[in-house]
Amino acid sequence: MASLGRCVRLITRVRPSLALAAIPRTTTIGCLHTLNTRECTVSNKSLLPTLNKTCSVRNYSAKEPLTLDMIQQRVLLVLKLYDKISPEKLTMDSHFMQDLGLDSLDHVEVIMAMEDEFGFEIPDGDAEKLLRPADIIRYVADKEDIYD
Amino acid sequence: MALGRNHILSLYKSLLRESHKFSSYNYREYALRRVRDGFRAGRHLANEAEQEQQLQIAQESLEIIKRQVVIGQLYKSPALIIEK
Repeated sequence: MASLGRCVRLITRVRPSLALAAIPRTTTIGCLHTLNTRECTVSNKSLLPTLNKTCSVRNYSAKEPLTLDMIQQRVLLVLKLYDKISPEKLTMDSHFMQDLGLDSLDHVEVIMAMEDEFGFEIPDGDAEKLLRPADIIRYVADKEDIYD
Repeated sequence: MALGRNHILSLYKSLLRESHKFSSYNYREYALRRVRDGFRAGRHLANEAEQEQQLQIAQESLEIIKRQVVIGQLYKSPALIIEK
């Protein structure tokens, strides 16, 4: 029992070095656009001849590349789901305030929804210029360096 | 509007952002609803002193919300059935 306890302590002491060794590998794999969990088996022969310690390494990677088409679909979907915009009236060039009847408070909420959707913050100065879905799409595309 | 329109809109935005952070469903939904209703009720205030007062209240509420969000995260309760 006592020897088992010592083995466990040894494993916990070895762990940090294992984690460090795994980091470079995860960063090089980061460019693949998949999220997979790899099992790596580490046998620590000098300390524990029989015990194979298995640890799982999760590789995070870059997000899926956006295209203009995809941005457009996502922007329009977010707008359609907003309860104060009627989906029938919504087009790429409809003005939020004049055509869709939103006020400035609603506009703030639309911009917040876009921030949540695309995962970056839109400064207030830029936000007040984004008055049509087309403007938002162009802004997001510029931000993500997508041109075509 | 006499007082800075941009200031009001950014206050509205930060109130909503902070309210979203409540971990408790009831507080979160109440805060969001209250912020929206409060700003909508205040938009037709003609009296400048009244506007000033409402903005002051909003500013103080923002501080309260920030504090309460942190406290709420310290004492979490399990998710309600409606959130599952």
